[in-house]
Order: sequence, then C-alpha cells, then structure tokens
Amino acid sequence: MRRGRSVTVRAVVALAQLAAATVAIFVLTTLLPGGTAEVVLGPDATDEQVRELAARLGTDRPPGVRFAEWAGGAVTGDLGSSLVTGRTVLDEIADRFGSTALLTGLTLLVAVPLAVLAGTVAGRRPGSPADRVSTATVSALQAAPQFALGLLLVALFSLQLGWLPATAGGGALLTPAVLVLPVAVLVASQLGWLSRQVRQGVLQTDRSPHVTHLRRLGLSEPVVLWRHVLPGGVAPSLQQLARITEGTLGGVVVVESLFALPGVGAGVVEAVQSRDLPLVQGYALLAAVVTIMLNLLVDLLTARLTPVREDAR
Amino acid sequence: MSAALSRRGFLAAAGLGAAGLALAGCGTGPGSGGDRLRVAFAAGGSRESLDPHVLPLYVDQARAKACFDTLTGWSQDMTPQPRLAESWESDAAGRRWRIRLRPAPFHDGRTLTADDVLYSFRRITDPATTAIAAALFRDLDLTASRAVSPTELELVLNRPNFLFPLAWGAPGTEIVQQNATGFDAPVGTGPFRFTSFTPGGPALYTAFDGHWDGRPATGELEFLPVDDEEARIGALLSGQVAYAHDLTPAGAARLDGDDRVAALSAPASAHQFLVLRVDRPPFDDARLREAVRLGIDRDELVRVALLGRGRVGNDMFGQGLRYYPDEPQVVRDVERARALVTEAGAQGLAVELQTSGADPNFDAATAVVARQLAEVGLRVTARALPSENYFSTIRKQGVFSQNSTGSLPIPDYIGRRMLTSTPTYDFTGYRDPEIDRLYYAATGTADEAARTESFHRVLQRLRAHSGGLVWGVRDWNVGVAAGVSGIAPARPNTFAWANFARARLG
Repeated sequence: MRRGRSVTVRAVVALAQLAAATVAIFVLTTLLPGGTAEVVLGPDATDEQVRELAARLGTDRPPGVRFAEWAGGAVTGDLGSSLVTGRTVLDEIADRFGSTALLTGLTLLVAVPLAVLAGTVAGRRPGSPADRVSTATVSALQAAPQFALGLLLVALFSLQLGWLPATAGGGALLTPAVLVLPVAVLVASQLGWLSRQVRQGVLQTDRSPHVTHLRRLGLSEPVVLWRHVLPGGVAPSLQQLARITEGTLGGVVVVESLFALPGVGAGVVEAVQSRDLPLVQGYALLAAVVTIMLNLLVDLLTARLTPVREDAR
Repeated sequence: MSAALSRRGFLAAAGLGAAGLALAGCGTGPGSGGDRLRVAFAAGGSRESLDPHVLPLYVDQARAKACFDTLTGWSQDMTPQPRLAESWESDAAGRRWRIRLRPAPFHDGRTLTADDVLYSFRRITDPATTAIAAALFRDLDLTASRAVSPTELELVLNRPNFLFPLAWGAPGTEIVQQNATGFDAPVGTGPFRFTSFTPGGPALYTAFDGHWDGRPATGELEFLPVDDEEARIGALLSGQVAYAHDLTPAGAARLDGDDRVAALSAPASAHQFLVLRVDRPPFDDARLREAVRLGIDRDELVRVALLGRGRVGNDMFGQGLRYYPDEPQVVRDVERARALVTEAGAQGLAVELQTSGADPNFDAATAVVARQLAEVGLRVTARALPSENYFSTIRKQGVFSQNSTGSLPIPDYIGRRMLTSTPTYDFTGYRDPEIDRLYYAATGTADEAARTESFHRVLQRLRAHSGGLVWGVRDWNVGVAAGVSGIAPARPNTFAWANFARARLG
C-alpha cells in the first residue's frame, strides 16, 4: 500500500519535473538571439527571405502559441518535426542515439569493472601503496580535460604509433578500432568519480560492525568480500553510475567533436545552433526520461544490494 | 547509420551488453578506399542538402563542384574561363549575350541543352529557391532570353553588363537538368556521379566516365564531415583522409615539417576587416575612424593574429585580383591618431569591439587591436557574440566589429555587397549612390581602361569613407596527404578550389 503510493507520488513528481524542464528549455532557447530562418539561411540572406522562411516555418508566431502547440502534440506522443529538415524528431534522435548508446555501453563495460577493482583494492587497504597509486592515477585522469587527453591520445596512438584511427569521419569510418580512443577518454575521465565512490563504500562496509562480526564468526575472506563487502560497498556508487550514464547518453560533446562521431551531443549542439525548437525539446525530453528511468533503476538496485534496509522494514 | 541504428539497434545497444552489435552496420574500414579519395570538410549537420543553388557552406560548394559544372569558372585572379560555355559574345551594347555550349552529357546519358541552362537560371532567380547567386542575375530578362538551338542560347539583360560571364562562374550557378526539382539524388554534368549521401554524414561520388573534360583520375570521391579542425588534422596525419579543408594559420603551421602531409596555401584569399559604423556614435565622427585607421599596427596584427600567414591589408577588398588599384600602403601613425582622438574629445573613450567564433582569427585580432588602440587613447574591450548569427547581429547592432570576407571578383563584391540596393551587407551604414553610378559605368562599358578606372575609384572611395578597414588578407590553407597529386592551392570560390577532378592518390 505504502509502496504503491510512493510510486504514484514519484511518478507525479517526475512528470512535474519533466514539464518544468521542457518549459525552462523552451524559454531559454527562445531567449537566444536569432531565429531558425536567420541561422539556416546564413549571412547572405536578405531580410525578406528571412521573414518568408520564418513565416513558412511558423517561427514568427508568439512563443506562447508555439509552446502550446508543441506541448499539445507532446502529451499525445507527437514530438513534431525538425524545423530544419522536416523529418520527425523521433527519427532525428534515433539516427544519432545509436552511436551514443554504443559509446556509453562500451564506456560502462570498461569503466565499471575497472572502478570496482581499483576501488576495492584501495578501499580494503587504505593508505597502502596500492591505494595511493590507484587514487593518484584516477585523480590525475579525472583532472585532465577530455579534449586535452583526447588530443594527447590521438597524437600518440594515431599520429605517432599509427595503431589506431584518429577519426570516425562523421560515421563513414566507424569501425571497432575507431571507438578505442573515444572510449578510453571517457573511461579515463569517469573512472575517478566511480572508483572513489567504490573505495569509500568498500572502506566503510569493510569496517562496519556487521562485517567485523561476520569475520569473527569465521566466514572465509572471499565469502565476506563477495557476499557482503562488495554489495554493500558498491551500492552507494550506483547513484554516481547513474549520473555518468545519463551524462554520457545525454551526449558527450567534446569527445564526439574530437572524433567526429555522429552522436547525440553533436545533435544537441546543432539543434540549439539552428534554434530548432522541436528538436531541442526532443533532446531535452530524452535526457529527462533517461534520468528518471535511471534513478528508478538505481533505487531498485540499491534496495536489492543492501539487505539491511529490507531487515529494518 | 540511419537504418542500421534505429530504435531497435539503440535499445539493444543501450542494454550495455550489446557493445559489438551495432558495429557491423556502420560503414567501411578506414584506409580501405583503394581508389577512393577521402576529403574532410567542416559540415552543416542534418540541414545539408545537395541542391547546388542553395550552398551556404564550403562543403556544399565542393560537393556541387564534384557533381555539376558551371558555364564558366573563375581563375585565381577572378576572371571567367570557359567551362560548359565553350565561347560567348555580346552585342555592342552589352545586353545580349550569345553563348555556345560544348557537348556535355549528364550522368543519366542525356546531353546538355540550352534549355537546361535557361531552366537553371530561372530556378536561381526564383525567390522561392533562396539561391545564393540570385543577386547576380537580377538584371536578366528571362522572358526575352531564349534557346537559339540545342547548343546555343541568347541571354538578354535589362541593362548592359560587359562582365556578365563572371556571374556564370559563381558558386551556386551550377547547371542542372531542365525541370529538376528534387536533389536527393542529383544528376549533373560534373566529373563525379552521385552515389550516396546522408545529411550531416558522408557523401560518396563515383568517377563519371563520360565527363566532357575527361574521366577523373580517382575512382571514387568521399566527403567526410569533420567539424573540428584538430580532428581534421588528426584524420589527415593518420592517413584516414587525403585532404583536409580550411585550416587556421595555427593548424597550417602544425603541418610544417611533417613529411606525411603538405599545407597548400593560396595567398590573399580572405579579408580580415574591422568595421566601424559611420552612422552611429562614436564612429560617426570621421576623426575617430581615421584615428583607428592610423592607430592599428597591421604588421603586428598579421604577425600575431594570422601567425604571419597573410599579407598586410590596405583597406581595400581584392588584393591580387583584377581591378585592384595600386595605392600607397597605410602605415601606423600613433602621434597623429592620438591627436585625432584628443581633437574629437574622446580621450579614454570606452568602445566595445564585437567579436565571435564565427572566424577563428577574430579573437586573437581583437586582443591585439585593443592593446594597439589603448596607445592612442581608446579603451577597447572585447564583446563576444554568438557565432551562429554573428553577421546579421553586427549588421543590425554593430558599432565596431570584426568581420571577414572570402574571395570574390572585385566587380562581384561591389555588385553584390556595396550598392545601395544590397543592404544585406551594409555593415557600416555607408550608402553611397556614387558607388552605384561608378559600378554601372564600369560594367556598362566595353572600354577596359575606363572600366578599370571606375573600379579603382569605387575601391578608393570605399577606402576613404565606408568605415570598413581591411587590416589583413589571409592565406587559404588546406592540408593534403603526401603522394596525392593534382590538387593546387586555390582561393575559395575559384574553379581550382576544392576541385578533385584531377586529384590522384599515391
């Protein structure tokens, strides 16, 4: 009963957040100088051409009217069409989401085991050489700006050694090898956040009364580690994992630009630059939905991984 | 990409475990081109189209050049050379132009006719097309113009224009097939046949065996969208592409001394301006405009902001091009500039200099200008504006702004941008009917000496009064992989620029 109500409350809050986000993004985008017609036609266009195109696109109407129209469609599942290409917003986003989802998936696939390993090693022996090396390494990687790290990796592995390709050429040259460097950059910049959380979680769990008690009971170390320390230690990191996932899925502008990957980040930038409101709103909705769903997932997983809560209830 | 990674692909990939799955659907391997020439350009994203008459970006123009031909082509000094037009002549009044076409097949086997040319020009002048070259044909009377025979046509003008053949070589005047409306799979007479294209993605063309000027030297030509300059250079240096377009001075400098590549630089290709509004304070005061003109150190600007990869400007458009007058070079005079500032009562005046990322050299130049003008008593601060609509913003709200312009024939530059009837380019508020008179006198005479004299006077007048200061003229840099031949350094908009018909791999 209580659980049902809390789900309802959460859903209502999420919907309200979604609505607020779309209004805020709409207002911010309309506040940007220049309109779609002006940007699309470029500096060579006459005022008359700009006015004509604006009228054709409907962007000369008051913002309130346009928002109402968009929102009316959105609640029925119709996100409208791009002002620039005329294709539906869903098609536009779907085209770009594949590459971004792939990048996100691979990044997590590499980053999560690495973070758990580094965090566990460090967290179980705080202050040890292993802890210091791993903490220093991930902090350094985390501190390096993505573009600097990306350029460095390209310079080394593509230009000097010639082992890996430097660009995806807008998708035309996309091969598994092309993804190595972008994924490396993303892993490097995200690993720190994650492994420090794991380290902290493992450290706390490892020293918690219940784990001490389990050790006193004579449980073998692997059992203590795998069954008790790790689940408890990793649970707090799930929030961080969700942040990383939604951040990467929402588009990694720098990495996409550096490697000419046709992903969501580049799509958002382009949509904002051309003041393509339906498309900007579409991306905003995508980000909001991803965030809400991930949070829900994290809550469920956290509940699963920390049996303490179950007991307390 | 599009079909392979639609919803289902995305859901599977988002399921984290499906890392490898989408890869199979995505394109070919790098360097596997064999006879495929890969070229990297900054691109326009999903708004791109292959309509050759609507070409907002360099990549659009380059693709149009691969697939289509124009009647004439511009040489490096911006004079028209025969292309699809084998020969032409005008009547004594410069109002009736007789053009003879060369036999040229379209990619679908049809032969080019005079009707295709008339249709193309009709389409360009139709306001609904929003063609970039529309202004060049504003005096063309299409009801009086006609096809004399399938290979000959007569164009009739409402007013004399002895330089009309220049207009036929402009970007955006490509000849399309009669009644062509959609350009999803364009058919032209150009050296490469269209093969595939995704807006915002790659575009692939195949050599056209039947091209009237001979088959291209490479089997395939692929345009890759790589917006970031670093990424373009990386792709070039790693051998993934054979050509990287539009490198900044810093980017070109990076290629120096690397034997895997060569930087090709066309001199005096893009003009760097400071524009001062003559109709708004404070630069409605001619003394302050003169103070800026004398206060900036052009040598230092070229050395610092352009890294020396350009020439000092002399406040006139068109260095190195036909009809450019020989005027004494303006040199810095700090004393005089300071005296003018004092005389205008503007000592210590704060002025904002508008800049943006729309041109990679604006910001560096702004910093240098601010320092230089501080020495003459003007306090200049940078004001950064969004790059997407920078040029229309400074046109509407400009006072003191950075500006830049690529290469155009001098008559074209004046005719399209400096007349009272062309307010789109009114960056300084200077409207002068005398410019119009001189321009029409120049284009309306068959006397080349008189024409040259008129154009000289236009440029001198613009230099003296318009508020547009050309402080530098920058090289146009592209990077080419070692072993690639048949690509020459070229000014943008000329026929040789981004022309891959003679390019040969290794």
